[in-house]
Amino acid sequence: MNDTIVVIAQHSQGAADPVTYEAIACAMELCGGDNSCIRVIVPGKQTADIAEKIAGTTGADVTAVEGKGLKLYNAEAYIKVLEGFLKDIKPLYIVLPHTSTGYDLAPALAVKLKASCITAVEKINHADGKHTFIRPLFNGRLYAEVVPETESTVITVQPGAWHKAVGSPDKKGRVNVITADAGSTKTRTISIKHSEYESAALSQSDVIISAGRGIGKKENLSLIRELAGIFKRSAIGCSRAVCDVGWLGYRHQVGTTGVTVSPKLYLACGISGAIQHVSGIKGAQTIIAVNTDPHARIFSVADYCVVEDLEQFIPAVLEAYGRLYSE
Amino acid sequence: MKILVCVKQVYVPGTDVTIDHSSGWIQYNPTGFRLNSYDEYALEEALLIKERIADTRVHAVSIGPGRTEVAIRRAMEIGADEGIQIRYEKEGYLSPYQTASLISSYAKEKQYDLIMTGVTAEDDMQMQTGQMIAGTLNYPYASSVIKLEMKTEHLVYVERECDAMRRECVELPMPCVLTIQSGINKPRYPALSNVLRTKQQKLMEIPAQDLVMPEAREKIIKVFLPETTARGVFLQGSAKEKAVELLRILHEKAFL
Ligand SMILES: Cc1cc2nc3c(=O)[nH]c(=O)nc-3n(C[C@H](O)[C@H](O)[C@H](O)COP(=O)(O)OP(=O)(O)OC[C@H]3O[C@@H](n4cnc5c(N)ncnc54)[C@H](O)[C@@H]3O)c2cc1C
Ligand SMILES: Nc1ncnc2c1ncn2[C@@H]1O[C@H](COP(=O)(O)O)[C@@H](O)[C@H]1O
Repeated sequence: MNDTIVVIAQHSQGAADPVTYEAIACAMELCGGDNSCIRVIVPGKQTADIAEKIAGTTGADVTAVEGKGLKLYNAEAYIKVLEGFLKDIKPLYIVLPHTSTGYDLAPALAVKLKASCITAVEKINHADGKHTFIRPLFNGRLYAEVVPETESTVITVQPGAWHKAVGSPDKKGRVNVITADAGSTKTRTISIKHSEYESAALSQSDVIISAGRGIGKKENLSLIRELAGIFKRSAIGCSRAVCDVGWLGYRHQVGTTGVTVSPKLYLACGISGAIQHVSGIKGAQTIIAVNTDPHARIFSVADYCVVEDLEQFIPAVLEAYGRLYSE
Repeated sequence: MKILVCVKQVYVPGTDVTIDHSSGWIQYNPTGFRLNSYDEYALEEALLIKERIADTRVHAVSIGPGRTEVAIRRAMEIGADEGIQIRYEKEGYLSPYQTASLISSYAKEKQYDLIMTGVTAEDDMQMQTGQMIAGTLNYPYASSVIKLEMKTEHLVYVERECDAMRRECVELPMPCVLTIQSGINKPRYPALSNVLRTKQQKLMEIPAQDLVMPEAREKIIKVFLPETTARGVFLQGSAKEKAVELLRILHEKAFL
């Protein structure tokens, strides 16, 4: 049986993204703890340097696949180039990060390879020489253990679920560079835009008071603002749900598709703690969560948990603050 | 133009999630079902195109047991012209590849210019179905679409929302598949005229057996509740006592 594990690297601005090293760490676990069966593929243009770096850091063998049509990510071009290559290798697993590139590519690639596809994997179980994959359902309220029933399986790994891989410093992986031509594609990736939102206020604040859908109505933002007012320097953040209904602008959104923050204090009010939100607050030193649901996922990352209705709790805090702390 | 919007009736658990040990799946409370919110954004995007391009027809398709009729009718009340119900009676989990195969097999000869899905279903959260429909039909695709413009009759321009506030700008010809991200528009509510129209309309019902449905390529062997991994302290007492305690902690940590 073929036990090759292929990792498809994600990179930007000439360097592998941290999630690539996490995916390699997951592959190492699947390989039984070392990197002997891992082959990292780095598609793109001029990716040899990135390949060298990955091989040096992790000790895994790396193939840079360089070619026309691969400069910017383009699902169609990537699949054209990777399909033939992967059909030859017939890997047991193909591992990608669960990012906007990874989950864009993985399912369609799986269809082409007649492989199973398991996304947002957070953990692997090993039993009787078989692997099973643990992934969340219902925003993490429930988990599923999934077993593939195909020769090849494509998996995407949740960012943050594995620590970045480091190999033995004495063994550098082999690097080879191959050129490929995606030919003509129907899809044309034109450019990458960076958001024009001014998010500095959030990323530089020591204290962030954040609102979720649990505030119930726009008017309750005044509670959040008043609460923010008791701190010397604070900013207002929120979950995506709050932006989507138009209560706050997207520059306030915290999370994978918003701003990543690392304040000294993050106070989440009425936020359930979806993985895409929580990934954005990993750097926070102290997290406090207020939520009516004692099982809310936010409590699994919070240092201080308050099971209360924020409509009663925040006024109680403001009242007590006025009584006990304000001069 | 002909647009197919894939809509899923999702289960949104309240505060209590229980597993039914005989089926090995979550125990449904009949009041917990609704139209997947990401699909409302997809539907709205289709309706916006319909407003701009004459003779556009919007179809809503859903796979599931009888109960899914409610979600399809909801999509029609919001504005879809037709509703298609692919009847798959078994409750529980249907893999994205099977879902995509059923939808592809239905859509194949129907000349849809655009097939749209939500970026993800709020219950299973696979983020796979749209991309797999594209894979099986050999259509170009883009996922996580946060902006959409019709360039010409045959060409769409989209911006894909990527991590860390980046956007990928992509052009693709139709027919193609787009998965739509929340926030791209403000979904409308059902209009009375559509509600009345929908009452008169029949759904097109197709038994799943009449379409191509492959074996699942992966299986769920178990669902389970996560261990309560709370690493923090739960404050105790009345709301007032918790408020005082919280302020004490904030003060002690020099935040105040
Ligand atoms: C590709 C993708 C990217 C995403 N990126 C992001 C991102 O960057 N950032 C982000 O935040 N989300 C993101 N999301 C969305 C994410 O999955 C969740 O849907 C979102 O974070 C939920 O927001 P919420 O917690 O405010 O709302 P909900 O999940 O609806 O939670 C509301 C919470 O409020 C509580 N509550 C209700 N009433 C009260 C009350 N009176 N007092 C106290 N608590 C109360 C409830 O118990 C519940 O826990 C993304 C999703 C996708 C698919
Ligand atoms: N049973 C279903 N019927 C119709 N559409 C579905 C179904 N399941 C998933 N979809 C579509 O696929 C999208 C993504 O689902 P998922 O891949 O499960 O995250 C959803 O937003 C729907 O548009």
